[in-house]
Amino acid sequence: MSKKFFLVFVTVFLAVCFIAVAGSQSYAGAKKEVLIGALYPMTGRAGLYGKDSVAAVEMAVNEINSKGGVAGYKLNVLFTDSKVKPAYAVRIAKRYILEDKVNFLFGVVSSGVGLAVTQVSKKYKKIFIGTDHASTRLTVDNFQPYYFRVSNNTFQSMAAGALYLKDLQKEKGWKTIAFIGPDYAYGHSQWDELQYNLKRYGVKYKVVGVYWPKIYTPDYTSYITSIMKDKPDVLVAGFWGGDTVAFIKQAIPYGLFKKMIYFHPDAGGNYELMSAMGDELPLGLILSARHHDNWPDTKLNKEFVNKFHKLTGRYPSYAAEGAYAGIYAIAYAVKKVGNPNDTAKLIKALEGLKIKLPEDPEGFTSYMRPETHQIVQVQAIGVTVPNKNYPPATRMLGKWKVYKAEDLIPPMDYIKSHRKK
Amino acid sequence: MSLKRLNNRIFLAGIVVLLFLLPFMKVSEYVVILMNEIIVWGLFALAFNLLFGVSGMLSFGQALFYGFGAYVTGLMVIHFGAFWFIPSILIGMTAVIAISILLGLITIRLSGVYFTMLTLAFAQLGWEIVFKWYSFTGGDDGIQGIYPPDFLGTPKAYYYFSLILVLLSVWIIRKFVNSPYGLTLRCLRQNPIRVSFLGRKVKNYQLGVYVVSAIFSSLAGSLMAGINGSIHPGMLNWTTSGEVILMSVLGGIGQFFGPFLGGGVIVLIEDIIGAYTEYWSFIIGIIMLLIVLLFPKGVLGEFSKLRRRLKI
Repeated sequence: MSKKFFLVFVTVFLAVCFIAVAGSQSYAGAKKEVLIGALYPMTGRAGLYGKDSVAAVEMAVNEINSKGGVAGYKLNVLFTDSKVKPAYAVRIAKRYILEDKVNFLFGVVSSGVGLAVTQVSKKYKKIFIGTDHASTRLTVDNFQPYYFRVSNNTFQSMAAGALYLKDLQKEKGWKTIAFIGPDYAYGHSQWDELQYNLKRYGVKYKVVGVYWPKIYTPDYTSYITSIMKDKPDVLVAGFWGGDTVAFIKQAIPYGLFKKMIYFHPDAGGNYELMSAMGDELPLGLILSARHHDNWPDTKLNKEFVNKFHKLTGRYPSYAAEGAYAGIYAIAYAVKKVGNPNDTAKLIKALEGLKIKLPEDPEGFTSYMRPETHQIVQVQAIGVTVPNKNYPPATRMLGKWKVYKAEDLIPPMDYIKSHRKK
Repeated sequence: MSLKRLNNRIFLAGIVVLLFLLPFMKVSEYVVILMNEIIVWGLFALAFNLLFGVSGMLSFGQALFYGFGAYVTGLMVIHFGAFWFIPSILIGMTAVIAISILLGLITIRLSGVYFTMLTLAFAQLGWEIVFKWYSFTGGDDGIQGIYPPDFLGTPKAYYYFSLILVLLSVWIIRKFVNSPYGLTLRCLRQNPIRVSFLGRKVKNYQLGVYVVSAIFSSLAGSLMAGINGSIHPGMLNWTTSGEVILMSVLGGIGQFFGPFLGGGVIVLIEDIIGAYTEYWSFIIGIIMLLIVLLFPKGVLGEFSKLRRRLKI
């Protein structure tokens, strides 16, 4: 093939690109629809969270549209890979608002990306529904009226964690604690918020070690041996995703889990861990996550999990339920207001959001806290037990302890002091 | 003036006029924002190419200066207010002179791959500091809410502000490259030993171009902070240095405007293809493969060759 051919190829390719962008510019929801601009990572370490979220969004959209949509509007979602790059996500969010004329911004797994996109939402007065990222800063320190989050944040997980540890102290009389978490804002927030909540709930303890391995650390051996030397009664972990799997796998040969209680309340109980480790996963680990495939034992949760499994061939990670909840939150608000364009009324509607979600146990309905725009939900913490109902996992969580939603939210003085900073 | 040179000047003037008229054409606000990003990336790529294309020094650490400029602007605006946006750009550019002299004195002692590795090491050190210094830099969460003063508050106003600074920078860089100093740098790229035999102090020239490149990289970083309204440690990461190398190679390192064009092409591919598939980087990979194997002079380099062949 000659060079000329390739020159022609490149020219044609670029021309196609320009035509494509020109064509895409005039997309704007001309039809009667609610247009949602979603940003999820589709590749890399967080790719599974993005893929599960997209599948759950499509599931919720199909459910709603098959019933005729909402207030006469069909839901339509645009997806773009956020690449977990804040600058790129900011550009896409602007494109969604200015070119595609979306009614809502949606999604995001990384808190760093969420914090950047929330600024775009604020500047262009466009509602942003956060579905997975967990940084408390978004609803406390950096609160802005156009942002709403529909999954628990790290503060709520750590409050539930503190309450569990309080109960555990009564049962087992533990005295010392060590913490290990990834050395970036997510890990540090968890540790700060756990300490705050332990103090808030009057738990007495002694810290014998705090460890900050880098995110995506391949080898945890040095940390594991140091923790073994410290001999804490409880080891609290703040990893997520593959880091949890790597740490647990590497700690098993050292017998770490026989010598101390392993406690991982924010993302440890994600189905991703159970499916990745199978029989290797030790029994008796105390874990939690923002959603569990086998809790609560309600019709809604079973339907959600089974439908997701039927659709994708795998069981959902917690990210999926957040995304599913986000679409239903939008449908709720549009139904209340009657159209997707009146932002002020949509904000009011979302502030009064009350919605039954798969993760809600009988007798509880998730609701939005108007002061923070953070959804209020119960949290269940469980222990790894044998369970082969969700293959390839052979362990799931059981022996649940459920914590009241209102006990998990940050008190007003905490919010005020953080907003002053 | 030769006809070819006159043609070039008319062509460049036409592009500048087009850039100035862009906001008045029937384009959306988003196109103005996108073009703003393109010209700022273009400036960064041009600044990088002063080292690589002009002087033959492959730095894998220019993101350090780009990120430094962004963080000086971001931190000053957050702590002292939007008024400090413009002064912070100048403060960043001034501070980066001191930093680049300090680092340059160490890095230019080495050459080739060792120079590249050392620049990478320093940049990663900077990234690590920004990533971990939560209380000051916000760690991996970055800093948000960086807005220029009200008179630059609209995308159009900020675009003109960026455009003027970028054009001024391009003019200065072009003068610099075409000066006797720039000529010596090009000689350095080809044969540094011969240049030293001619009585020139090679290290001084290398340090000089390292500092100039850092200054304009810092300016690009500051301008980008204003476009996005937020900054994050990724701006100092090696991937950002890699991106700017990619832009330069794609556009053509041997052509003055090659990296600028490469920046535009990458941003557009990312934007257009990225809207349809998450495999956009695969497409960039294929294009890079084609460029490196078949058009090693880059898009603009091959275009110039074609022009010469067709005698236009």
